[in-house]
Amino acid sequence: MTEKLLSLANLDPWLARLRERGSVYAPGTDQAGEVALREWPQPEPLVLDYKNFREPPKAFFLPRNQTLLYFRDGKTVELNSAVPETFLFGIRPCDARALALLDRVFLDGDQNDPYYARLREKTTVIALACAQAMPSCFCASVGSGPGDGSGADLLAVALESGLLFRAGSGKGEGLLAEAADLLAEATPAAKREAAERIQGVTAQLTPVPTADSALRLRGSYDSPLWGTAGQKCLGCGTCSFLCPTCHCFDITDEPDRRVRTWDCCAYPQFTLHASGHNPRPTPKERWRQRLMHKFRYAVENFGVPFCAGCGRCIRNCPVSMDLRTVLKELGA
Amino acid sequence: MAESRQLEAQLRETAEKLLREKNVSLFVGYEKASLPFRTTPLLLTKTEEAPRLVWNPFCNANLSVYLPRLFLAPADARAAKAAPAPPRVGVVLKGCDSRAVAVLLQEKQVRRENLVLVGIHCPGIVDRRKAEKALGEHQALGAGEDGGGNIRVVVEDGTESTLRREDVLADACLECRSPAPALHDILLGAPGEAARTGTARPGTARTRTAEFESRPLEARWAGFQEVIARCIRCNACRQACPLCYCKTCIFEQNRPRWIGPGTDPSDLALYHLIRAFHLAGRCTECGACERACPMGIDVRLLARKLSAEVEDLYGYRPGESVEATPVLSSFALDDPQDFVTEP
Amino acid sequence: MGRNPYLPYPARIAETVIENESRDIKTFRLAFEDPGSAAEFRHLPGQFAELSLPGAGEAPFGIASAPTEGDGLLFSIKRAGVFTAELHSLEPGAPIGVRGPLGRPFPWERMPGKNLLIVGGGFAFTTLRALIKQLLHPAQRAHYGSILVIYGARTPGELMYRSELAEWQKRGDISVHLTVDKADGGWQQHVGVVPAVLEKLKPGADGALAIVCGPPIMLKFTLPALASLGFSEDAVILSLEMRMKCGIGKCGRCNIGGKYVCKDGPVFTRRELASLPAEY
Repeated sequence: MTEKLLSLANLDPWLARLRERGSVYAPGTDQAGEVALREWPQPEPLVLDYKNFREPPKAFFLPRNQTLLYFRDGKTVELNSAVPETFLFGIRPCDARALALLDRVFLDGDQNDPYYARLREKTTVIALACAQAMPSCFCASVGSGPGDGSGADLLAVALESGLLFRAGSGKGEGLLAEAADLLAEATPAAKREAAERIQGVTAQLTPVPTADSALRLRGSYDSPLWGTAGQKCLGCGTCSFLCPTCHCFDITDEPDRRVRTWDCCAYPQFTLHASGHNPRPTPKERWRQRLMHKFRYAVENFGVPFCAGCGRCIRNCPVSMDLRTVLKELGA
Repeated sequence: MAESRQLEAQLRETAEKLLREKNVSLFVGYEKASLPFRTTPLLLTKTEEAPRLVWNPFCNANLSVYLPRLFLAPADARAAKAAPAPPRVGVVLKGCDSRAVAVLLQEKQVRRENLVLVGIHCPGIVDRRKAEKALGEHQALGAGEDGGGNIRVVVEDGTESTLRREDVLADACLECRSPAPALHDILLGAPGEAARTGTARPGTARTRTAEFESRPLEARWAGFQEVIARCIRCNACRQACPLCYCKTCIFEQNRPRWIGPGTDPSDLALYHLIRAFHLAGRCTECGACERACPMGIDVRLLARKLSAEVEDLYGYRPGESVEATPVLSSFALDDPQDFVTEP
Repeated sequence: MGRNPYLPYPARIAETVIENESRDIKTFRLAFEDPGSAAEFRHLPGQFAELSLPGAGEAPFGIASAPTEGDGLLFSIKRAGVFTAELHSLEPGAPIGVRGPLGRPFPWERMPGKNLLIVGGGFAFTTLRALIKQLLHPAQRAHYGSILVIYGARTPGELMYRSELAEWQKRGDISVHLTVDKADGGWQQHVGVVPAVLEKLKPGADGALAIVCGPPIMLKFTLPALASLGFSEDAVILSLEMRMKCGIGKCGRCNIGGKYVCKDGPVFTRRELASLPAEY
């Protein structure tokens, strides 16, 4: 695992070099005044000390509207447009970890999803360790953390004078090798500073008891808490659409193409049969499904919860439901 | 402020009494949420839970959204026989929320005799996004109201700061003309609080619409496209709206399918146009849709215009009276029809 | 990277047969356009495929034919929703996409030497037809013990594959019991629901496997009847229907607990199902 140091003065030249190979996205302030991943360069300066983006970078890999196949002359065909090389600089570790989780579904070896695979292969992920935690953050409770590099090709830690890079994949190692002239050796002091910064952010996190959630949720399938949650839930898809790990989708036809779009288990139509039968007929079952899927079924299938602890579902729920509260109550 | 503390105590007493005397079996109010600038709905069935109820400037949801689903008719006669009797429900309502209940009554989605409406004179509520933005890179750990109705915030380093009320009130509240619940069985609080703090700017809605309308056609279209481009079709605006109660929404009908499920530009435009038109003459301007939107979209752009049109053409404001005939259900020979043009 | 799993094989409707008096179940024989596709598409009874019509969409259907039947695939499809209505309107010659085979088949490896009880109700009989055809194949039949089939429908006119049923009833190596909820004039066979016939026939559970496909109400009463006959949870094999889209374990629609009906099923033992939430 190679570690290198990039001075802040060399950040722009480095991004410019990546820009020669493909599109570069980096944190900047958008028209609405929010820090978001924006195509680089922009007139506005880069922002490195933001909390997190409103949206996870999921749409780079699972676009909200993705054409799978085209209909041409009565035939269903695949029109492979070339996927451009893309660099995502500055996504937070929770969102990068979410990609590692999505890989387990879409690159499961048994049956890879070619559309996801192509975008994942052509996209280089450079994560940026967190500068501060939000009250809704709980990454450390789901096996991640503010310095988690899983899912990223490179993890950067912003230091006083520059960025400490840590390679997380062969692709990341390659990037560091190519940029050797812009990089310096990582000094012990820099490594110490990085570790301290990450520790500092970790200390801001409030732990959530999720580690043994699979077992706990197993016994709680019939808990009255699901009914309480279902009664409150409005049945919108905000939590899952903004979730970096939620990936359920729909496939529908337009006159000239077959399209994949995001879908959500909170919607009654999601499981509705043509006969009118619905295996999850009320918000209670649907709410339980979402939480069970993340914290029990995923643990059974993959050994890890399908949650990166980013807290977007908590920050954005129109009725301020908090899955941490429900997890706590289920465990109580 | 002291007044909302007092209101909160009255509210808890009211709910406790309604439940204890079995006037209601369910009471819908707000309780503290896990994050600052927010509350979360509380659906109470036990008297001992009444102390969890809160009343503060963060009581954002329009709670009437929970009512229609409590009165859904069973699918068939057999199910009707087995179904429990519809509950008697107490519900906390701000001015705009009570107007939504009036529309639900007009449209026969709820049963008046099963409702106990607890109105509260509303001083306006905080748009959490405005508050969060006002703090910049600081983040709130806690928030409350000070004596002047401004918002006191404790941030991550333990320091306190104050956000001015007019800077963080929700748009719908700044534009509000009737903060008093028109329809209620029990009324808490005193009128005029909004006027006292000098934040109400009821003309704002029309000013905003006029500003938009003054742009050339292309700019208006571009403006609309820009507004909706961020939409992710999560349905939060629709689900937060008490008047979007259709059992099968047009967006989900599939025989025929009127609109695709994704974010294709034409589907996005259709989604927002259809919603605006389905709420024309019905929208009570609570702004729940706007505050529910996770993407910060001005989802009321078209609704504001349509509300003004309905009021100007027909002198009708939805929800002001249950007895009034809904504007789109009535026809008078002298209705204005200047907008009807030759093809 | 192999073949794009979302890309259907091009096929054509070679033949359609109306299966019932209500005229809402049709059997479609599909022929692959390209002999290469036919060679690649190697299925076993119990598996399903996604059928697609450009512009109208895609939907999953159990395969009604056995691989031993040679070229082409059979699907018996009830007109229920938008896609099936479109499909029913098509004439032979119309192009159609076929994606698959998908899912886990009936547990073939467990069947040799066993007595087989096959219980079906209504329109869910389709994949059981594929199973029976496979079992009766001359090269196969000797591997299995007795075969007892109980198949029920609302009325005699709603039974599918009637000429084949009649042929099977003439054979000595399979016993086929048909039952209807409501008989008409000429009906000489059982009247009553499937579980009632099961209780009347009392098939032995020793060295036997029960393979059951039917509507939820049939399952609700058949499963306890099988249990009381002594069939263990491992000896009862069911096939589930779920709403599906991708068919390859990605889209999440057919999740029941940690399982995907599309790739872990649709065939499950009753023991496997017992460990899952009853969300089907």
